[in-house]
Amino acid sequence: MKKGVIALISMMMSVVLLAGCGAKPAAESGGSNGGDAPKANFKVGMVTDAGTIDDKSFNQGTYEGIVKANADFKMEYKYLKPAGTTEADYSKEIGNLYDAGFKFIVTPGFKFETAIFRAQDKFTDAKFVLIDGIPHSGEENAEPVVKENTVSIYFAEHEAGFLAGIAAALHVKDGQAGFIGGMKIPPVEKFNWGFQQGVNYANENLGTKLVINKENVVYQGSFDDVAAGSQLAAQMYDRGVNVIFAAAGGVGVGAINEAKTRAQNGSEVWVVGVDVDQYEDGVYEGDKSVILTSAVKKVDQAAYDMIKAEIEGKFPGGQSITIDAKNDGVGLPEKNPNLSEDIIKQVNEVFDKIKSGDIKVAGEKGDLID
Amino acid sequence: MNNSIKSLLAVLFGLIAGAILMLVTGHNPIEGYMYLIQGGLKNPERIGNTLATATPLVLTGLSVAFAFRTGLFNIGAAGQMLFGGFCATAIGLSLDLPRGILLPLMILIGFVGGALWAVIPGFLKAKYNVHEVVSTIMMNWVAYWTVYYVVPAYFKGASLETESRQLPPDAMLHQQWLSDLFQGSYVNLGFFIAIIAVLIVAFIINKTTLGYELKAVGFNRHAAEYAGIAVQRSIVLSMFISGGIAGLAGVAQYTGNASSIQIGILPTQGFDGIAVSLLGANTPLGVFASALFFGLLYSGRGFMNAMTEIPPEIADSIIAIIIYFAATSILIERLIHKLKVRRIANKKQGEQDHVDNA
Repeated sequence: MKKGVIALISMMMSVVLLAGCGAKPAAESGGSNGGDAPKANFKVGMVTDAGTIDDKSFNQGTYEGIVKANADFKMEYKYLKPAGTTEADYSKEIGNLYDAGFKFIVTPGFKFETAIFRAQDKFTDAKFVLIDGIPHSGEENAEPVVKENTVSIYFAEHEAGFLAGIAAALHVKDGQAGFIGGMKIPPVEKFNWGFQQGVNYANENLGTKLVINKENVVYQGSFDDVAAGSQLAAQMYDRGVNVIFAAAGGVGVGAINEAKTRAQNGSEVWVVGVDVDQYEDGVYEGDKSVILTSAVKKVDQAAYDMIKAEIEGKFPGGQSITIDAKNDGVGLPEKNPNLSEDIIKQVNEVFDKIKSGDIKVAGEKGDLID
Repeated sequence: MNNSIKSLLAVLFGLIAGAILMLVTGHNPIEGYMYLIQGGLKNPERIGNTLATATPLVLTGLSVAFAFRTGLFNIGAAGQMLFGGFCATAIGLSLDLPRGILLPLMILIGFVGGALWAVIPGFLKAKYNVHEVVSTIMMNWVAYWTVYYVVPAYFKGASLETESRQLPPDAMLHQQWLSDLFQGSYVNLGFFIAIIAVLIVAFIINKTTLGYELKAVGFNRHAAEYAGIAVQRSIVLSMFISGGIAGLAGVAQYTGNASSIQIGILPTQGFDGIAVSLLGANTPLGVFASALFFGLLYSGRGFMNAMTEIPPEIADSIIAIIIYFAATSILIERLIHKLKVRRIANKKQGEQDHVDNA
């Protein structure tokens, strides 16, 4: 066995040697067709959170923003997928990006908070964009620290949830609504609370009667259990729920699948999508979709704006930014084929009121259903 | 010796298969492997990270291998690891003791926690012949949801949502001089736990009566019983030790590589342990070597992504293919056997022809 170990090592050495012979500089990618737009002199890297790059949510949104920025500014970009979800896994990939020259690093998700906290000190000549979180040491009662090379971005999810609640109430008019959440974390909770406030507002001011019962507000506990999402949705629909707001990643996909099956069999059920416009995911026949609308947070816009700011030399380092209705960073999708003109008009009126501050949506639980 | 040749052939086939995948997807395999290895070994920090990545794999691999020697397929290393790590974390967060007492206590409790999780399937197997593959998998989910509910209820961090509070420095396997030695790597004392575990298991299996009995049960349960070995006791004991080692993997992972325990995730190292064990031919030293190899793959992968145009998904597939081939070392044994038989047959045929001609 000892010989085996030696053999293994020697084999690896030989691979290294072989590799050395064939070494050549890393291929230059990205065309240089100039154009009028300023050309970026930095490379943009991204580390994905748990989940894949096409998760219809955070990872995908961030990546699309980077791709969009590439179309305008022609900078090199790349994403890495960590092997696990510990701080060490994240830090390793951030280090890999840095070593490969990607010094503008975007990380989606609050799980990066502690990794970015250390990275902003370790790699002082790199820039970090942390979406949905703020760097801190992770210790008890630790103060968040946003260094000059870091920007932390939050979204007002409750405002998006509020608008979705209004739209759902106006469409269903008289019936029941439900909520399926993924893990019980602040962004998901804020969607829930906002949704409930929206439904309540519509019931009080717009003459609807949409009821949310306690048993129809559920956090599944993960973002990837598709089967559990289908089951939860089936239970809710069986209890007479007409529309489910699913802020639950893959669990939400399960809910959408269940709704599609039911819609095919002729019953009228709806799902409200989350994070991005999920209309396409809910298509079950021709162009008919079970997605009533989606509570959108424009993660792509946030990533794009930060890259643009860096190119223009206006990177807001050291700041914690909240993106809300006022800067059009949250809301409903541009197109809502399942909503009538009239409903869209009313929703837009409410949206303007949120913008102007006439309606205040609380980001806390208050006396809402947990 | 024969075994290590088989494993090396398996690794070689795996690397070739991975290279073919890179070629098919239009990437340069030599460049890819070069960056893969550089990513794992380029500087002291990266070497340290590779060792740290390999640490839980050594222990889970050892756990699976140990049960395997008794003829048990412990597929629940993930759950045992999670629960062992959870117990150790709970101790670390609750007790305020000097480091010299706290760390050994955490390691001990981690071992016991993992062992407890494996003894139940072991007992069911010994007493009622419930298949351990089914019961250990079920125990995985029991561990998953137990941690899911207990951690937020009792150990939740104020600013952290899906993980426990951070362990205080005295309750972590992290050691400053070790990190300094490897220039800031997160390698920690867990690596030494792994080495010690390898040596102890090697001793138990090869040099003790207990090891002999366990192996006898593994070879032939009925023959062992006939020879007067307490088979049921051996099965429970084997699962106890196997689970305990997996629990140590949890200690190394959650109090060494990480500084808190996360909910909603079953550690992948538990399942990788099966591949590590197979590649290591179920021997302690073999497991150690193959875990280091796996550690290299996992920790070098990101650098390969960063330096080449190979997308992460292809890189995952490449690693998976290498592991897939590496885990089929048993097929290689058959292949060698077949070739041998054919050669002998040919020889005989030749002699026969010779005689006929004469």
